[in-house]
Amino acid sequence: MQIISFLFEKHPDKTVLAVAVVASLLMLNGDERGKIGSARAISSFLLYPVERTRSYFVSVDRLREENRKLREVAVSLAHERERLSQFMEERNRLRQLLGFRMDSFFQFLPCEVIARSSNRFHHSVTVDRGADAGVRAGMAVVGYRGLVGRVVQVFPTSSRILLLNNKSISVSCLDKRSRVVGMLNWERGNLFRLEYIGSEEDVQQGDTLITSGLGRVLPKGFPVGTVLEVSDDRTELSRMISVVSMSELNTLEELFIVTGGREWNSREMLDRLGNIEEKQE
Amino acid sequence: MYLFRMMAAAVIVFIMQTTFVHRINIAGAAPDLVLVLLAVLVLDRKPLLAVIIGFSLGFLQDLGNASYLGMNALAKSLLGYGISRFASGYFPDSALFRGLLLFLAALASDIVVLNITASFNPGDVLLSFFRYSLLSALYTAVAGILVFGVLGLLPGRVVRPRGGY
Repeated sequence: MQIISFLFEKHPDKTVLAVAVVASLLMLNGDERGKIGSARAISSFLLYPVERTRSYFVSVDRLREENRKLREVAVSLAHERERLSQFMEERNRLRQLLGFRMDSFFQFLPCEVIARSSNRFHHSVTVDRGADAGVRAGMAVVGYRGLVGRVVQVFPTSSRILLLNNKSISVSCLDKRSRVVGMLNWERGNLFRLEYIGSEEDVQQGDTLITSGLGRVLPKGFPVGTVLEVSDDRTELSRMISVVSMSELNTLEELFIVTGGREWNSREMLDRLGNIEEKQE
Repeated sequence: MYLFRMMAAAVIVFIMQTTFVHRINIAGAAPDLVLVLLAVLVLDRKPLLAVIIGFSLGFLQDLGNASYLGMNALAKSLLGYGISRFASGYFPDSALFRGLLLFLAALASDIVVLNITASFNPGDVLLSFFRYSLLSALYTAVAGILVFGVLGLLPGRVVRPRGGY
């Protein structure tokens, strides 16, 4: 100790240099795991502001790159949308020429479930919108993922909705891929059976079923379920097809009542998008 | 105030060294901005302070690569001492000589670093030295001349008697 203090008094700079060199060499020869651990502890303390600033610049770079990619996607989607809009106009013109009704897209009235039925065999829910909001009996009701039921009883400020998981409801469905039509009936839980499908008709596991719009009870095109299992037995006239519903029917909270359709107006959609962007800014 | 300036400069240089420098590399060679900072800070300082500054900067640099903890601390301590002890006395106060000083300092730093990373294998050390170190040292010298030039243009700068900042 005395030697060090003597050296420090006589040759302070050389002593400090020697100490620095020895400390560096000791660090270099230290245990690898210990070095990494202590370096991590020290750097997280000392270099925190540097690391924050560095990660800021790195994130700016990443965001710039992401922004560039999103711009590319936006441009391609704008072209795609323009093309689809032209197709839709052309399709509507052709439908008009053939005497079909014009395509329309739906208006949704959001509502919340305020009560559930206590009957085990009659599944229904009550929502907080009624005749005052324009709800009428027979209107279809959808969730975020697809059809859940239809309005059966309307009060001034509430409505009762009969869910799909009822023996009294049958829904005419269409296989989205093969366009085969069948009737969907509830079995148990979220499981349904697709009936009146011929043994030679093309329905496969994983196919999506949508409402067919036949009978004009429910509007066409809403997803209803996914084919879970198709029986291989082709000796019968029809096949056993199990379907699982799109919506979890026992945990419904927010729903949308399909109050009607209206004509497609791409200008209106663009204006809406513009308003949303302005609000975000 | 000097300590605050030194810390601010160190933070800026470390950010630049880790985020920006790899983008301006030429044929795999990149300038060592920490070395430039060391030269700026220790020129015309006492060797004692120069060693402490060098060790601190090197140690901070080592924290980024803990496997060689102590490597840059060793190199920068020696360089801090060397620059402080000899450069101020022997090198005239001109941009060209400061560039030469940084060139030699970068080469000396690389000799220490290469010997440690290549486990004192002369073949590997010489190969890397001629392949990367010469160009990196030249790059560091040019960057250093620019930094000294910019510092010289700053209004209200404090110039030390023999050219340090």
